[in-house]
Amino acid sequence: MNAAPLGLRVKNLQAGYELGSPIVRGVSIEASRGEIVAILGPNGAGKSTLVKAIAGTVPIESGEVRLDGEDITARPAHRMAGGGLAFVPQTDNVFTTLSVADNLRIAAHALSAAQRRARIAAICELFPDLARQRGLAAGRLSGGQRQMLAVARALIVVPKALLLDEPSAGLSPKVVAELFAKLVEIRAAGVCIVLVEQNVRAALDVADRLYVLVEGRNRLEGVGRDLLADPEVAALYLGGAHGMAAGMNR
Amino acid sequence: MSLQFLADGLVAGATIGLGAVGVTLTYSILRFANFAHGEFISWGCYLTLLLAGAIGAWLGASVTPLGALSIGPNVLAAGLLAMALTGLLAIALDAVLFRRLRRHGNSITAVIASFGAAMALRAALEAIFSSRPVYLSADLQIAIRVGGLRVTPDQLALLGLALLLIAALQLLLARSNAGRSMRAVSENPALARIVGIDVAAVIRLTWFIGGALACAAGVMLGLVVQIRPTMGAELLLPLFAAAILGGIGSVPGALLGGLIVGLAEAATVQWVGAEWRAAVAFILLIAMLLLRPAGLFGRPA
Repeated sequence: MNAAPLGLRVKNLQAGYELGSPIVRGVSIEASRGEIVAILGPNGAGKSTLVKAIAGTVPIESGEVRLDGEDITARPAHRMAGGGLAFVPQTDNVFTTLSVADNLRIAAHALSAAQRRARIAAICELFPDLARQRGLAAGRLSGGQRQMLAVARALIVVPKALLLDEPSAGLSPKVVAELFAKLVEIRAAGVCIVLVEQNVRAALDVADRLYVLVEGRNRLEGVGRDLLADPEVAALYLGGAHGMAAGMNR
Repeated sequence: MSLQFLADGLVAGATIGLGAVGVTLTYSILRFANFAHGEFISWGCYLTLLLAGAIGAWLGASVTPLGALSIGPNVLAAGLLAMALTGLLAIALDAVLFRRLRRHGNSITAVIASFGAAMALRAALEAIFSSRPVYLSADLQIAIRVGGLRVTPDQLALLGLALLLIAALQLLLARSNAGRSMRAVSENPALARIVGIDVAAVIRLTWFIGGALACAAGVMLGLVVQIRPTMGAELLLPLFAAAILGGIGSVPGALLGGLIVGLAEAATVQWVGAEWRAAVAFILLIAMLLLRPAGLFGRPA
């Protein structure tokens, strides 16, 4: 038996776009299989950089990333999906000039033709709305449908872990609810989901556990609503929100 | 009214189209205009010449022209081998030059570097083969009449070959994994990496295809004109005119653009005067950039 814990284990990660000026400064998070973990924090906390670094698209300076016990810290981005770690970026996360079907096929390019057909059929069952629009160029989908396609595309490889960078950004509350309901379905299949969110309320509804980052470091962690009751979190978020609202009202 | 320009124009246009495919693919995937592309045409032609001689010598006296064509099977085999070699030459040029620039420089750096690479590649050809003109086929061909036009069997075969190559490439791009990966990298390289595409491999494939088709264009050109180290460089402007006319990134567009440029040049030679020929590509290029900058098949940026 493999004694290593299943899921994603990030230890003391330091990462940033330029060497010597890290944005993520020693973050540790854990997400088990069948668990949704949300990463929260004010703007500039390093949440997006954290998931990008885990996915291999931002250089890691030090620290360690393990997936189901395997060290994937130095793995190049293009070998992550095949190794079971799928990433949905916040923007430009579908190929707009390719059809919906080709967006799915391209994620399955490493599979055999038979496997590819089987995976695409399975995904179409999970996302019937997309299945109906297979031939449409992805650029013509609505924002919500694009986000669904991006998630569907990430699931093609049957990931062990799914990272999403602000999936609710720009979507209506109804679409966010649909998207998050889909994430709950995916969690039930034993995938570990790590979610970066600005939308605290939506995140609270689905996340099993939460991490709060501030200035590139772990600040707090805890279970759902307990954490929101924390005066420090309230100050962080409400302070930030008030500041933003005041700025917008000016 | 004589329509003879159609025969010459279509063959010249198919040659330009084959070259323009490489320009358009490099541009859409690597995002720079490669001014060294013309040199792949020259190199492809000289490599074919060299290999055809070697294969001919190896086969001995048994090399006779194929059917009504002026070339023997040695040229055909040499052309195929040279296509692979020119593809590898393009990959090698990327490895020693453009790949390093991609890490630090921008696309302007790459364009300027491609000028330098063009000069170096041309000078190397001159050093190896001298600038004295040579020929792929010494045979004179008797033109046959097809619907009132005089065409040589070579011209017909070349036209067919060019169309076949471009149809095969278009099929590859539309239906295969490799083609989908190329389209994906062209649109969004960062996302391509995330979905598991080896972008470096796609870039190598792009160079290989561009180099191989440039070689095919070189062989076509070498059968019609004298082979000189500057032959490809002289074709550079028509190549870019064709690629932009067809819309950057579009393979059928590059072919259509090539045919338009080729036909326009031939028509000009026939009706206006040969001295205006070189201006035609320029005029078409400028007209297209003014009227429809995205090209015939291009999508607006």
